[in-house]
Amino acid sequence: MLRYMLINIVGTLLRGFPLPCKTGLVRIGNPGRNSPVFLTGNYCVTVERVKRVLEKSGIDCYLLIANSRGINVWCSAAGGHFTNHDVISALKTSGIERLVDHRRVVLPQLAAAGIEAKVIGERTGWSVIWGPVYAKDIPKFVENGYKKSPKMREVEFPAVQRVEMAVMWAFPFSIIVALLAFFLWRSAVLPLFILSWLLPFLIFISFPVYSGLLARGKKKSRLSRYTVIFDFSRVPLLMEVSFLLLLVMYGLFTGNLSFDFLLRWGFVSFVMVLLVSIDLMGSTPVYKSGLHEERLLRVVLDEEKCTGCGVCVQVCPRNCYEIDGIARMPRAGKCVQCGACIVQCPFDALFFESPDGRIIPPETIRKFKLNLMGRRLVRV
Amino acid sequence: MPSYVLMRILESSPDRYDRGVRILTLGRLEGVYERLASRIKPGQRVLDIGCGTGALTIRAAMRGARVKAIDINPRMLEIAGKKIEEVALTHRVELCEMGVAELDTEAAESYDAVMAGLCFSELSEDELCYALREIMRILKPGGLLLIADEVVPRNPLKRVITLLIRLPLLLIAYLLTQTTTRAIKNLPEKVEGAGFIMESMRLSRMEDFVEIVARKPGG
Repeated sequence: MLRYMLINIVGTLLRGFPLPCKTGLVRIGNPGRNSPVFLTGNYCVTVERVKRVLEKSGIDCYLLIANSRGINVWCSAAGGHFTNHDVISALKTSGIERLVDHRRVVLPQLAAAGIEAKVIGERTGWSVIWGPVYAKDIPKFVENGYKKSPKMREVEFPAVQRVEMAVMWAFPFSIIVALLAFFLWRSAVLPLFILSWLLPFLIFISFPVYSGLLARGKKKSRLSRYTVIFDFSRVPLLMEVSFLLLLVMYGLFTGNLSFDFLLRWGFVSFVMVLLVSIDLMGSTPVYKSGLHEERLLRVVLDEEKCTGCGVCVQVCPRNCYEIDGIARMPRAGKCVQCGACIVQCPFDALFFESPDGRIIPPETIRKFKLNLMGRRLVRV
Repeated sequence: MPSYVLMRILESSPDRYDRGVRILTLGRLEGVYERLASRIKPGQRVLDIGCGTGALTIRAAMRGARVKAIDINPRMLEIAGKKIEEVALTHRVELCEMGVAELDTEAAESYDAVMAGLCFSELSEDELCYALREIMRILKPGGLLLIADEVVPRNPLKRVITLLIRLPLLLIAYLLTQTTTRAIKNLPEKVEGAGFIMESMRLSRMEDFVEIVARKPGG
């Protein structure tokens, strides 16, 4: 329990960094020859959470920990750090094949952005079942006979996770800011430290308030991709204003507004806004920021090839799909371009289309994943 | 040679891999690979596990062997492919995106030699055991296993010194690429434990790098 708490605290503070743990086979409870086999990546926090859920629910099973380079399942799979080879290796080298009679492995659904169920099947004879997005849904999922409800398939961005994300940014930021301040402006270390915690929290917690605005305000700006960092039009402007307000308030309270102070405060606030703006580089609330203009891809369906098999429904973390004879995308607006549906489609019926009309075929996405800063857009 | 830690950084951008490795290892790796490849004879069938950009593969092919080179990184393989084309050896080399876990698809006793340059240190304990078992199976009797890799020194003092040199390098590599490398513990014992006969072993002065030539019994 202490270990669990410690890992969660460290994991939350250092959310932006990989935290690897040992790979291999773990027995949960007292598994037998027909017990289910679950597989996950070797991100310490994930492994602890999955283990805890499985242990608490009393499911006797095997848990395979594959090498995802210490990164969480979604990021590692979409970024090309958690591949078919890692899953094949876990299945073949852990000795699980000698322990169970069946050949079914439950993979986390979010791994679908990088791991191909088809290839795993061909090379190992194991069939992949896409499990729920969140570990907490595993017991329900098992009870339902390995079927997911739409809710189990969907990635949400609830308050708890927004706080986690805020901490992920606040912790390293505050340390950088405090270190800088320690050398440059010692008396301001504490207020700046606190401020660099407040800002991310403000941004993430108020996300529902302005998320609607962001979706609507899809203006086509033809500026360079770097405009967002220096774009003081939206969120950063609000921040700059709040900085100035704080400045005025401070001045009013202390009656101390020297030029030197103004200069320092101006510089510090600029650095802070810059730091927080890095967040807009696609990491979170504002994921469709201008920095990723060239990556605002659209998923397109080739209706000729689609057979309505429904794999896309199973792997889409935003519940975009419905099957009506063939696949339909009634909620395409929610798509986050993770590419899972394209990677998994057994008939190559899905592909990406870039804003300038270029087509990115499934082979390219399977090969390059989402990593390399949009390098899969490279003409092949 | 703790500088192998820094190869993690280079691996993240295969285009710069070769040049970087040469600088980092001050050309020492070249010597190691030359010595290992000198064991290969013309006409032999050779498997290169974790070929990377093809350093060992090309050396073996130049000596007249037919080489199958496998790696799990498609971009590394692309570069290896280009380099092999440049030296006009494509007819002798087969490149394949494949990990050690897929060695079970290779036929038994089908190779004269198996090479692994800086590959085993990337494997987990389970994977290494599995790889050694499979290599034993696919080698012809009397076939050679050639290894060059980072190991944990046996001498406690040297272990501490290497650790001290490695730590800052590990930190740099981690900060830049968020990856890390592990030196292998007891590699010679593991190779012998898998049933190989040690033919020669060459440790670096700091005991942190090893070249192993091992033989499958029989032949």
